[in-house]
Amino acid sequence: MSLAHEFVKGIYKENPIFRIVLGMCPFLAVTSSVENALGMGAAAGFVLVCSNFLVSLLRNAIPSKVRIPCYIVIIATFVTIVDLIMNAYVPDLHRNLGIFIPLIVVNCIILGRAEGFANKNTVPAAIADGLGMGLGFTFAMIVMATFREILGNGTWLGINLLGEAYTNQPLLIAILAPGAFILMGFILGFFNIMDSRRKGGAR
Amino acid sequence: MAEVIKLGFVLMVVAVIAAGSLGFVNGFTAPLIAQQKEQAKLLAMETAASSLVSDGSEVSFDSLAVPGMGNPYASVDEALQVVGVYSEGHLRGFVFIAYGRGYSSTIQTMVACGTDGVVTGTGILFQQETPGLGANVANPERLIAGFSGRSAPGLVLTKDGGEIDAITGSTITSRAVTVSVRRGLEAMDAAGLFTEGGAL
Repeated sequence: MSLAHEFVKGIYKENPIFRIVLGMCPFLAVTSSVENALGMGAAAGFVLVCSNFLVSLLRNAIPSKVRIPCYIVIIATFVTIVDLIMNAYVPDLHRNLGIFIPLIVVNCIILGRAEGFANKNTVPAAIADGLGMGLGFTFAMIVMATFREILGNGTWLGINLLGEAYTNQPLLIAILAPGAFILMGFILGFFNIMDSRRKGGAR
Repeated sequence: MAEVIKLGFVLMVVAVIAAGSLGFVNGFTAPLIAQQKEQAKLLAMETAASSLVSDGSEVSFDSLAVPGMGNPYASVDEALQVVGVYSEGHLRGFVFIAYGRGYSSTIQTMVACGTDGVVTGTGILFQQETPGLGANVANPERLIAGFSGRSAPGLVLTKDGGEIDAITGSTITSRAVTVSVRRGLEAMDAAGLFTEGGAL
């Protein structure tokens, strides 16, 4: 397996949201605007790369029976350090991303990749995997947020697309929790159809 | 038995290293973070207070100690801290921070009001509400824009029989902020801070 392959697979073929269906919590909760989706994607991707690196580095030192608690401690420590350092040195960025950072701990993509990939592979492969998965996650977040923000608010990344009249009376359900579940059904369905087509299925 | 001890030891080592590195990072970031919070607070105070002086002249702040004033936020702050806003030697109004327990955080709102108890400016200092819903409370054009020009009795949401529109999907957040600001104003009024003429 080449490094390029480990990197590329996370973006579409093994996309953490569309194909592995991990990380549904942030996918549903923070996709109400494209700006939020970008912020969450970038922050989670960064932590993902770092935790993959550490877990892969320590994969021979941690006994398999206590690996999950160890990973959780490593990830939580890492998230807290990122939070503190961002708060101290880049307060403007922290003000925008700050609310997402505690949510990264519960992002099961990170634990999923630590458990499913990083603890079985070399450090460079784990970093490539983390980068790819992080990009795939961000991509999925943006796809969902694009639908939700345009339908629910008439804007995309804060730019008004559908005019003042729509913004005043938008399809509000898209931006609320039920809309997230409904849209997720459509999006996952679409990707399943694409996948079965790709495999040459007749459906 | 020996294995249990070994596993426990590995976990302990991981936890100790994690705790040590967190303590180390916290040691040098905590003062910086506190300093930035203080600066942000001062900036918010100045922004809110600028609504009290129409001509944009210099303002100065002075903490007021009001004996016997009740504190509606007893769970988060020892006493309600009211800061007087002075300009050209005259008291122009007050600023204070209102604390309201929202959906997932305690929202801090900086409030400026005139000596007659009418709100002139507000700003959200801190909130960790749901991104996309409750977090919209920080948008100065949404909920808090409706506070200006009202005194304590007017700070009621439409749902509760008043005239202030809540943020859609975020009634808990909206109500928390509105009620917290109203309570602060009521406590100041009860302590006799507000006067009709504007002279204390």
